[in-house]
Amino acid sequence: MLMPPFELHRPSTVEEACAMAASLIESGQEFDWIAGGTDLIPNYKWHINTKPHVISLARIEGVSTISMNEIGCMARLHDIAEGGNAHPLISEAASKVASSLIRRHATLGGNLCLDTRCFWYNQAEEWRSSIDWCHKCDCGTGSDCRVIPNQNTLCVATYQGDLAPNLMVLNATVHLIGPKGARSVLLHDFYQLDGMTRNILEPGEFMLKITLPDDVADWTGSYRKLRVRESWDFPEAGAAAAWKKGDRGTLRVATTALESIPRRHDEEVASANGDVKAICDAIYKSTKPVNNTALPPRYRRNMIKVLVKRACEE
Amino acid sequence: MSGGYKQQPGGGGNETRKDGKRVAGKQSFSPPGSGGSKPEMSPRDLDFIPETVGGKEKQPAGSHIHDRARTGTTVGKRTTLVDANAKVTGQAWYGDDVRLPNAIIGRIVRSPHHYAKVKSVDTSKAEKLPGVLAVATGDDAPNSFGVLPVTKDEHAMAVEKVRHVGDLVACVAAIDEATAREAVSLIEVEYEVLDSIHDMKKGLEDVDEPIHWRGKYHVGTTNVQKRVFQEFGDRSMVENPNASYHGKWKFMGVNHGFTEPHAVVAHWDSNGRLQLYTPQQVPHYAHRALATVLDVPMHQVNVIRTFVGGGFGGKSDPFPHEMCAAILSRKSGRPVRITFDREEVFWVNRGRHPSHIEVQMYADEEARISGFDIDALIDGGGFASFGHVTSYYNGVLATAPYELGSFHYTGARVWTNKPASGAMRGHGAVNTRCAVEVGLDDMSEQLQVDPIDLRLANLLPPHSRTISGFRITSNGMRQALQRVREGSDWDNKFRKLPLGKGIGIGCGFFISGSGLPIHWDPNKFPHATVHIQIDMDGGVTVHTGAADIGQGSTTAVAQVVAEVLALPIEMIHVRSHESDTSPVDLGSYSSRVTFMNANAAIRAALEIKEKILNAAWDALGYHPDTLVLNDRRIYYKHDPAIGMSYLQALHKAQEDKGALIASGAYRSPPMGGVHKGAAAGLAPAYSFSAYVAEVDVDIETGLIKCTDVWAAHDCGKALNPMAVEGQIIGSCHMGLGQVLSEQMVYGRTGHLQNPNLLEYKIPSVHEMPNVTPIIIESCDPEGPFGAKEAGEGPLLPILPAVVNAVYDAIGIRVNDLPLTPDKVWAAIAKKMKLEGIDDPADLPVPRLDFSELQSKLVARAAEHETRDKRRQKSEDTDAYVNGVLFGFDPNVPLEDQVEGWMSSDKPTPEQLAELGLAGTAWLKEEQRNMGGGN
Amino acid sequence: MVGEEHVSMIPAAPSEVWSAEVNGQSQEVLAPSNAILLDVLRDKAGCLGVKRGCDMGTCGCCTVLIDGEPRLSCLTMAQDASGCEITTVEGLADGAHLAPIQQCFADHGGSQCGFCTPGFLITSQALLTKNPNPSDKEIACAIEGNLCRCTGYQQIIESIQAAASIHRGESELANPASDAHPDPHPSGPEEPTMPPGHAR
Repeated sequence: MLMPPFELHRPSTVEEACAMAASLIESGQEFDWIAGGTDLIPNYKWHINTKPHVISLARIEGVSTISMNEIGCMARLHDIAEGGNAHPLISEAASKVASSLIRRHATLGGNLCLDTRCFWYNQAEEWRSSIDWCHKCDCGTGSDCRVIPNQNTLCVATYQGDLAPNLMVLNATVHLIGPKGARSVLLHDFYQLDGMTRNILEPGEFMLKITLPDDVADWTGSYRKLRVRESWDFPEAGAAAAWKKGDRGTLRVATTALESIPRRHDEEVASANGDVKAICDAIYKSTKPVNNTALPPRYRRNMIKVLVKRACEE
Repeated sequence: MSGGYKQQPGGGGNETRKDGKRVAGKQSFSPPGSGGSKPEMSPRDLDFIPETVGGKEKQPAGSHIHDRARTGTTVGKRTTLVDANAKVTGQAWYGDDVRLPNAIIGRIVRSPHHYAKVKSVDTSKAEKLPGVLAVATGDDAPNSFGVLPVTKDEHAMAVEKVRHVGDLVACVAAIDEATAREAVSLIEVEYEVLDSIHDMKKGLEDVDEPIHWRGKYHVGTTNVQKRVFQEFGDRSMVENPNASYHGKWKFMGVNHGFTEPHAVVAHWDSNGRLQLYTPQQVPHYAHRALATVLDVPMHQVNVIRTFVGGGFGGKSDPFPHEMCAAILSRKSGRPVRITFDREEVFWVNRGRHPSHIEVQMYADEEARISGFDIDALIDGGGFASFGHVTSYYNGVLATAPYELGSFHYTGARVWTNKPASGAMRGHGAVNTRCAVEVGLDDMSEQLQVDPIDLRLANLLPPHSRTISGFRITSNGMRQALQRVREGSDWDNKFRKLPLGKGIGIGCGFFISGSGLPIHWDPNKFPHATVHIQIDMDGGVTVHTGAADIGQGSTTAVAQVVAEVLALPIEMIHVRSHESDTSPVDLGSYSSRVTFMNANAAIRAALEIKEKILNAAWDALGYHPDTLVLNDRRIYYKHDPAIGMSYLQALHKAQEDKGALIASGAYRSPPMGGVHKGAAAGLAPAYSFSAYVAEVDVDIETGLIKCTDVWAAHDCGKALNPMAVEGQIIGSCHMGLGQVLSEQMVYGRTGHLQNPNLLEYKIPSVHEMPNVTPIIIESCDPEGPFGAKEAGEGPLLPILPAVVNAVYDAIGIRVNDLPLTPDKVWAAIAKKMKLEGIDDPADLPVPRLDFSELQSKLVARAAEHETRDKRRQKSEDTDAYVNGVLFGFDPNVPLEDQVEGWMSSDKPTPEQLAELGLAGTAWLKEEQRNMGGGN
Repeated sequence: MVGEEHVSMIPAAPSEVWSAEVNGQSQEVLAPSNAILLDVLRDKAGCLGVKRGCDMGTCGCCTVLIDGEPRLSCLTMAQDASGCEITTVEGLADGAHLAPIQQCFADHGGSQCGFCTPGFLITSQALLTKNPNPSDKEIACAIEGNLCRCTGYQQIIESIQAAASIHRGESELANPASDAHPDPHPSGPEEPTMPPGHAR
């Protein structure tokens, strides 16, 4: 499939990238960032929310660090999974993303900023024209949401990244940079409802790296991913848990692929007083998946109990 | 091409390899008279020559008519596909790889509506776009076509109506892809949207605007495209059964999922002939359809089959986009290439029919199968395609391998506003087979017998007739069952594994070539023709129209010719790509190629062999009967020193005549009954298979992992064991997809939700079990060297084997394929509720205590085994028809022996009241009986 | 699909010079700035052995080596591969010889219809270069991004194992491309051998 026309910009430094973004914003031109391209390129081929400019981060040096406490935005998932330098939980999660070939392209930043997904949305232009488009890519038609009709405010597309919940339970901080300067937030504050807003990135901002707390090496945990095939598939539901070795009281749990954002479940964990079954039930009650991925929402919601339970197993 | 592969002769120059071997590029064959490097004669490979003609090859199933043609050259040896080098070097040319000078790009305008009248198509804006060279609409090609002559219901582009989202409306050709895609968006179509139908059950109802109109044959005003009623045997036998099974099954549609999207290149040459390059399984039908649609004689069309990047039935219809390319090329005067995006592949579909199948099965007090009642409603989508045949196959291919007391089938295929269903690997047989085999498992549970023994004690023997009159010749079903039982350690596992682990059995039965050449009747053309030509260089050129789609048919043809002529396979050059040079072959469908085309090739090769031996007779003075054809040498049987080289004999044979040529043909023998639909399912031979599958079921998530499969398939004779094993394992993979994860999902609005390879879930390498392929060789009397099909039959058993294994693991049968984890989980939750348990770990697991029937079955199976062996070796040539197990005389028509034994193709008025879902199609009258329909 | 709903395909993005070392030869072509590597390789660099199956990174038919790493060319911006060394299936053969991996795919049934084969060969070659002694599990993990609809992967794994053993020097190609079939019975200058008195 042919890409729709756009101009590709390839800055070689972070500063240059920010300057390019600033100048495009100033001239009123829309643009997208591209990192590994595994998310953006198929969407562009399908003419989904394409922009006239795309800025590639591929040539920027020094943004693919992988260490216990820091991972750069352009670090490839393959290297995170196989390199032996990242936290074991992060390597495990990275190794479960898509396929070995896709992981060679996919980056940390791209995975964290993954566009939300929906089977009414991730389709070719011709296909979407046959349903008269949808809210998330309405092509100027003001279309309704196809998942939950007759509501025209929110998009319920699902966030299906694997790394986010794992970084959340390790208390990762994301470092953003843009024309207005740099800022840092905790990853679990990075995501923002709904399927279109997705996260707090301002125009022109991109994710530079994530950092993990100094004591992260003392933490352990696991990630459970529900999928039909052990290759290619996005998570239909995913649960990550982590705790400080020898101290189950520090347990943190986060989930993904159930809603438009991944979430850390501090309240649910706190209310359960360390009882895993109670945590599972509380998380089950607090999540409401919708019917827009391969498996039905009722099942995905029920499975979160199993996944959380298994993720919490020592 | 840069730095590419260079294995052309001479390419290596004088280089030698590090290990001292001569480099590639050296011609492998010495020129005539050069002396060669091994002047002494090497002996024939006796391991690959049958015992009957003095070799060492064991023949447990007896001798074969082709034994005398065996030379020990390639048959039975693991043989590299003759086109493998093209494939591993990237030189194989598939549809989109055909690049002609000045070619332009075609794109298709598709319907965004499920069902609509096309009121107008305004192409003016597109035509004005710079770079657009041709635009065509339905008006440019009013003639209809279809793969079956009885159901020609397709057009190149919509004439009057569009019938599904993605149906073709118009097409454009432009200098490049961007312009073509842009032009597509500039074509303005005015539609009048009609009420669409998505639920196949609704297709049985009368509507205002049926999707097609069949005139006087139209069933009421419904969307029923085809209905079938068949009944054989004694219906009274099913009364008071000892065990019975009633299953309502739902099968989602599946797609072939070949990796190569459809692509076509059309080019009208300087003489005004159409040269059409297409990855077709059935080039001949495309050839016919092109001539019809384009209104040109067939001889003005040359269909060039490219390499085919996977077919599985999905590239066997003549396709509208092939017509579009030809029309655009004719209009623009330039070659036109159309390549599909993946969703277009799903829109053209022709995959396995979504089906509702209801099965009732009965066993009597002796655990004989007293009846099958099958009702199959299948969803044909927007067009007929192969559906007429599928409608029959869903029933009739369940009439073996078991002996039945009675058989009752009602089937209906309806049109709906979806992409058309069609033929897919295991055509029509797969879904019913799954239901029936699971039913046997269920009945064996009720009878408290081992399901393998139940099967072994109810098999039809070799050389018998099924209840519907199919002629069974070779039959390796029994060995297949025995071998998988042994290989899987079945007796120590079945009903003995812990919760979550299970083992299951399933069998298969499939046609080896369809007996009726659909376009031929009443002409007595052969099914397959092969031409062989040998010029003075000694190389053998084989012309065949058989379409290699990766299954290795070209290799099979090369092998049988090499075998007969005792030549290295490298000396056989198969030319199979062009209809201009290839004799007509019906194509790669119905698993017919090996059987029919190789038989034709053997005949042609034998004629050549005779010519060469006669020349040797002339020269040596020994009668051909006493001459042995060895690797490029012919010698006197009793004194190998007396002889001559192949080239000498060949040159002698060519005196005054020039190149030797021969033509061989195959036509299936007359077979079968006279009832309506008797031809459906008729085949010159049938394949049999049995699989045992082992699964792990995650009882908390419902995820199923198939871990091991023992897969025995009776292919008659494995011409190339490597290819047969590849077919078995590949079938396993495809069937596993259908049973575990693959489905075409139509959402709330009737749109296909997953038209891409990420969401259409073909198993990855991690989902593949460890498959142990087991080849059973029953030596078919009419097959080429005894061979039968191996491409489709092996797919059938994996579905029921897995479903049965899941039952063994968790005690639950899910009758809704695919067994996605959500369905299995929901079934587990339901069962837990029913049993009043909270923890799935407390689920009861099925266990087996044998009843006294078990030992009776074992004894009966042992008797039958002796019977079968004698029949297989023709030591017992008495007639055997379905019914002998029930005590009937095979030599007297059953109708005369049993009151109520019947053969019927229409329901009686009483039966109308008790028909299944598909059977209700018979409640409507055809238009001709209502005085309407024109 | 008229007007602004459709994302306009024209005018095309401006063209730029794209250059790379493709299968050992430098290539310099003009390609739109937003071109995908797969399109450039197929349409401009003549590498038709690189196949387009799904166009979204699932099937792996388009896999090529970029600086020795297997990459999906359908998900690679051509400009990001500019200046790199690219190896496609056409570049696997060592001069006149098939690479062991190619020969083994042919000889062990690793290729049926052949459409996915180029991708599998590239992925397998990359694996064997790094790890000439892979377990079946390691092979499965390496090829999990390639989709084959014909073989069920089993004979592919066998092919890769066979090639691995050649890489390790434990076995030779079963069918070396030299003089595989010498003519055992050339027609020499002598007359056909005849028993005395037997001529017709």
